[in-house]
Amino acid sequence: MAISDLTIIRRSLSARLFSTVTTVITVAVAVALMLTLLSMRDSGKAAFERGTGNMHLLISRDSSSLVSVLNGVFYADPPARSIDAAKLGELRNTYQPAFSYFIPTQQGDSYRGMPVLATTEEFFSRFSPDPDFNPDDPESDGEPWQLADGEFFDAPFEVVFGSAAAKETGVRVGDTIFVVHGTEVSRKAADSALQFSPHVHKDFEYRVVGILEPTGSSHDRALFTDLTSSWIIHAHDRRQAEDPTITQTTVSDLTAADALVTGIYGRVATRAGSSVSAAIPAILSQLRADQSITVAQPKEEIDTLFEIVGSIDQILIAMAAAVMVSSGIAIMLALYNSMEQRRRQVAILRVLGCSRGRVVALVLTESALLGLFGALVGLAGAFIGSQVVASALKAQVGLVVEPLFDPTLTLAVGAAAVLLGASAGLAPAILAYRTPVARNLRPIG
Amino acid sequence: MAAALDITDLGFRYAGAADDVVRVDRLSIHAGEHVLLSGASGAGKSTLLQLIAGLMEPSRGVVRVDGTDVHGLHGARRDLFRGSKIGMIFQTFNLLQGFSAAENVMMALKFSRVSKASHRDRAVELLAAVGVTTPDREVTQLSVGQQQRVAVARAAATSPAIVLADEPTASLDPETADASMALIQDTCRSIGAALVCTSHDPTMADRFERRESLDDLRSAAQYQRV
Repeated sequence: MAISDLTIIRRSLSARLFSTVTTVITVAVAVALMLTLLSMRDSGKAAFERGTGNMHLLISRDSSSLVSVLNGVFYADPPARSIDAAKLGELRNTYQPAFSYFIPTQQGDSYRGMPVLATTEEFFSRFSPDPDFNPDDPESDGEPWQLADGEFFDAPFEVVFGSAAAKETGVRVGDTIFVVHGTEVSRKAADSALQFSPHVHKDFEYRVVGILEPTGSSHDRALFTDLTSSWIIHAHDRRQAEDPTITQTTVSDLTAADALVTGIYGRVATRAGSSVSAAIPAILSQLRADQSITVAQPKEEIDTLFEIVGSIDQILIAMAAAVMVSSGIAIMLALYNSMEQRRRQVAILRVLGCSRGRVVALVLTESALLGLFGALVGLAGAFIGSQVVASALKAQVGLVVEPLFDPTLTLAVGAAAVLLGASAGLAPAILAYRTPVARNLRPIG
Repeated sequence: MAAALDITDLGFRYAGAADDVVRVDRLSIHAGEHVLLSGASGAGKSTLLQLIAGLMEPSRGVVRVDGTDVHGLHGARRDLFRGSKIGMIFQTFNLLQGFSAAENVMMALKFSRVSKASHRDRAVELLAAVGVTTPDREVTQLSVGQQQRVAVARAAATSPAIVLADEPTASLDPETADASMALIQDTCRSIGAALVCTSHDPTMADRFERRESLDDLRSAAQYQRV
């Protein structure tokens, strides 16, 4: 048995444990930051794309396509303007034959801060948060909605809860709830400006009939009910304003003015095995010629959004890279300082027959190992950190982000840390190379 | 059989200096011969040992150890030669802190041609021979006397042709110094190594069959004793 170079390096590192640990932590923080940012960037975009699901087009009367998607899919704010029954009918008559689905939606109410989306049963049978789900193809890879409990609504005043909404509010199938006019965002704004108190639709009780499985999309935070219920409760408000003695409103009391929607989820019919259609550009062009509506391609809007935030992303990655370079400097300083103290050790090794080249190799290996240890700890940190961030996102905004660690990218960041470590060892290695043996063997004092 | 050490017309002076710090016209030492090298403080005793070990470059002359021109070797080849053929002992021992006694001895073997499989056994055996029975104890936890024994075992590890001892007893009390020098000499005899020892201590002179003064070595004709 002989002493290996690694034993020499290990003793050197353990002899200055504090410096070793702090240097490794510095590298680890940089690597973890870099990997977390990279993993969350890709998985964050994937999470947003899951929200838009398998729809091709979103029609609304919002001010822009991006606002339309943020409101209609991500529940940022209730759409300010509605599409009336006449317009909905016109759009249906003109375009529905080319569409796989044409699902009207209405937003504006909420329950304990969770948005309520009033829609039709097709929302569950045709639309899916899974972009690969093709409702016209039984062989499709994608998944339709899944229920964790209960069933989908099939009558007025039945409500289905998204998984996060159910978890946060603690409701169960069979419970009854009252919805509130307005949403958390709009109410907060109104509260501060007008001392507004929430208007509860207390005359209409909703029964919870189903709770959805998590989808990793924005819809996990929402509640879903049928359009008729929503039209009835708002028609009731209208009728009570006209005649305060009215206590009941039914479907028969609805007028054309009550049948408003705020959005239409549309998917153009595609061939089996395909998620796109050559007809989309033409339909899009035709729809956009209508100035009274806003037509958005949700996936394109998400791409645009990520292009906008991409620059912030790049700044963060540049900052992580700067931290990484700083950690390289930390390695260099740690080794350089220790080299001042280790000149005698180097001199002794030289006396014992260790060549200058081997001394340099020992120092470079030591610094590369600091980079490697930092990279390994950083990888573990990134894994844990991204899980924490993902949990926070899920808990705070119901967005399920599954951190994606691209093996090539992860390996590249790890290799960069090792290379940086080795490079940082160059100056201390030169110092070791030049150590004058005779001078450093003299008695101290 | 080649002499353990053969020096011819050796000179060393610092850059820009007018005179040589070290000048040895001729010095030859047989295999196994023990030589005490004396000289005033600053006379260049340590420098001469560094020149013999190939740790410094002479201004002129030739140093042969076991028949090999030390300064004719370069880089790693000289380092390997030093590790295999020259043992060194220092006043302050210069042990590697953070390593055990056995590891200090094994470190000398690491840079030699001795088979790796035998390093540990040889180190423990050598340490036992010099009276160190705790080979796995970290050297800073050993007494000064024990540390010196480790240093002696390390110098003898590769069975070198020559051991260079630079004031090995300077920091020891007279009794300990005598025992220590006896240990160094006994160890060198056991491996058949020549010994060149520098010392200020006049009481050490009797222990050596041959004594040389650096001043006298400057005159080659007088001191050729091969």
